[in-house]
Amino acid sequence: MTTSNSQRKVGDALTGFERHITQDRVDAYAEASGDHNPIHLNEEYASTTQFGTRIAHGMLSLALVTEMLTSAFPNSWHHGGKLKVRFSAPVFPGEIVTTYGEITEIKEEDGQLIVTCTIGCKKPDGTDAVAGQATVPLE
Amino acid sequence: MLFYVQVLLRLSKQNHKRISLAVPLISTAVVGHEFGPYDVTIHTERAIAYAKAVGGDESPDYGDSLAPVMVVAAALTELIEDLGLFSGGLQTIHAGQEASWDRPVKIGEKVDAIGRLAANSIRRGNHFATVSVSYKDSTGSEIGTSSTTIIVSGEET
Repeated sequence: MTTSNSQRKVGDALTGFERHITQDRVDAYAEASGDHNPIHLNEEYASTTQFGTRIAHGMLSLALVTEMLTSAFPNSWHHGGKLKVRFSAPVFPGEIVTTYGEITEIKEEDGQLIVTCTIGCKKPDGTDAVAGQATVPLE
Repeated sequence: MLFYVQVLLRLSKQNHKRISLAVPLISTAVVGHEFGPYDVTIHTERAIAYAKAVGGDESPDYGDSLAPVMVVAAALTELIEDLGLFSGGLQTIHAGQEASWDRPVKIGEKVDAIGRLAANSIRRGNHFATVSVSYKDSTGSEIGTSSTTIIVSGEET
């Protein structure tokens, strides 16, 4: 269920979700993005890197976060939404990650309500794979 | 010995066959260097692959539009290729990402991406590079922007 814009308030949590990051998802993301870097796809190559095994694309984790934003702000996110994130830790195939978000500010600029949210995606141990901030102009 | 100035066996991003020798552009490009334009039009097959990679029961309905970050990811792949970062011996960490979007993009809609190297420095033996990208539709209107920060480490020979 989507919250109406007039009901939003600071402290509201965005509805996050869990996603099992399988190698099949990573392979599909490589097809979607065109990024066939062997660190994501080739275990033999990846074993020689600092991570010791394959890792998911950072943009795959970010894509999950933007799924959450699209669901939370279905008429607004794609019309003026902005995000800024850091990739803090790699996600390994087989891990289950969880997206999260919280409204931290609502302000009016030139007659337009702007919502600011903390956003991110956590690994199973609770550390952030992706974390940052998004702003969304409300219609 | 110059950092990165080495003969590298370059891996093809498509099939990982060793295809050429190259010195990565990141070692020589100066701030202001422009990349592209890249055609980052996303057609149905790639949109389906995106849904398979990202989607779940609670996923939003995009209709005939795309998730804008998919276009950003497509441009990033082109930039990584042009910077020479698919080269053997180099390890690239995607450290940060910014993006903004003015309107949805349709599946199959022509979008061009033009990149500009906004920062490129070496600290403690690692390259830190930031590339800003502008996305334009077929009329030339800007419909989004992004900024990617990467850290590249490599082997000296």
